[in-house]
Amino acid sequence: MAGCPAAVTGLGLYTPAGLGVAECWAGVGAGLPTARRDPALAGLPVDFSCRVRVEPSEVLGGRAARRMDRFVQLAVVAAREAVADAGLNRATWDPARIAVVLGCADGGPGTVEAQHRVLLEETAARVSALLLPMQLANMSAGTVSIDLGITGPSLVAATACASGATAIGLARDLLTLDRCDVVLAGGSEAMITPLVMAGFAQMGALSRRADDPQTASRPFDAARDGFVAAEGAAVLVLERPADARARGARVHALVGGFGASADAHHLTAPDPDGRGCEQAVRSALADAGISPGDVDHINAHGTSTVLNDLVEAQMIDRVFGDRPVVTSTKGVTGHMFGAAGAAEAAFCVLALEHQLVPPTANLTDLDARIGIQVATRPVEGRLQVAVSNSFGFGGQNAVLVVTSA
Amino acid sequence: MYEQLKEMIERKFQVPLADIEPTATLEDLGLDSLDVVELALIIEKETGVRVTDDELVEAADLGSLANLVMSRIAPV
Repeated sequence: MAGCPAAVTGLGLYTPAGLGVAECWAGVGAGLPTARRDPALAGLPVDFSCRVRVEPSEVLGGRAARRMDRFVQLAVVAAREAVADAGLNRATWDPARIAVVLGCADGGPGTVEAQHRVLLEETAARVSALLLPMQLANMSAGTVSIDLGITGPSLVAATACASGATAIGLARDLLTLDRCDVVLAGGSEAMITPLVMAGFAQMGALSRRADDPQTASRPFDAARDGFVAAEGAAVLVLERPADARARGARVHALVGGFGASADAHHLTAPDPDGRGCEQAVRSALADAGISPGDVDHINAHGTSTVLNDLVEAQMIDRVFGDRPVVTSTKGVTGHMFGAAGAAEAAFCVLALEHQLVPPTANLTDLDARIGIQVATRPVEGRLQVAVSNSFGFGGQNAVLVVTSA
Repeated sequence: MYEQLKEMIERKFQVPLADIEPTATLEDLGLDSLDVVELALIIEKETGVRVTDDELVEAADLGSLANLVMSRIAPV
């Protein structure tokens, strides 16, 4: 059974590039990098990151935000924007027919680390009763349901750095199966904490370009040396196209295909032959009923690690050749982990709406082994079909096909 | 003690000071069971007095809660 296309009727973005869709697209479209020194990481092997610029607790107000971990706060802000953008009316909607499916890699490590310190330095009797309700990974979707009073299926998908894309794919499946009429689909992540960053540094996954953080995230560049950690959230409102038309909603674009796969190769390293990610791409294209030659634009996973970018570029070359204009918006945003796939799907939607491929920030010298067409400046053109790649630790891959409305 | 308690509730739970009256119950202030556990922790941390969350829930209002804490600081 093929999935029906899902209409994207609302967008919400809260990323290092800005608060809200307009600010985020302005930064991403212009290719303005956001990495900078991070005081919270002082003294650690890597002390820079891409943070959101406005504190989510300030956006929400202290009282509402107090019992939410940061990844939940980010999700709630993005979900509110997406619902408003979709023009959904809380007075008339049927809350039982609205679902929430969000991606998240790690839940709330900031809360865990703070309370673990209390346990070690004080006593168990001082540990907060809010530890679990704040840090459990499902709490982004749970809290969005509470915040908006919606009662349909509510869950979090975890495929590490592919979580946001997986969530959108699963959300479309829920619509196809008629489990609901509307889904708030996306992802959020706030895992820039000392412990997490120490772990990433030990893996050798992070860029060490400490003398110039702004240029550290440089996907596909010959001098790339790792990713830059980021935080953020993205939420898309999805509906069946007929329902969207019936209520007169504006349709930004369609999610036409989804493909998921597992490398079954290694805990963290991509299969060097790129077979797993190729399988996900081909399955997404088949699901959308399109051929590789129809694809105009690819928002690559493009993390800026040595291995990912090479394996991914070779896979893109094999499947698509050099026709599609490829970009990695992680040059601007850094790597938002479980939010990345959702934000990048939203950037595909915006690229189709604006007929503009955003540039890959900091790409000045394309790796000589890479033969695909990667945008180094904003590229205008006729764009009808976009593909968004997301690959997670564990070898879990999720690919979305986005088409013009 | 009442004033100290009032300040704790305002700071920790962002309850507007104007809403905090001696006759207010914790429920009136919008504190649920999770908040009550937090309140017990902060009272112990800042006054050295241990009150259980059950005692907090059973206290009739903020005034009697303040009296309970006071009585443990300076037993008669």
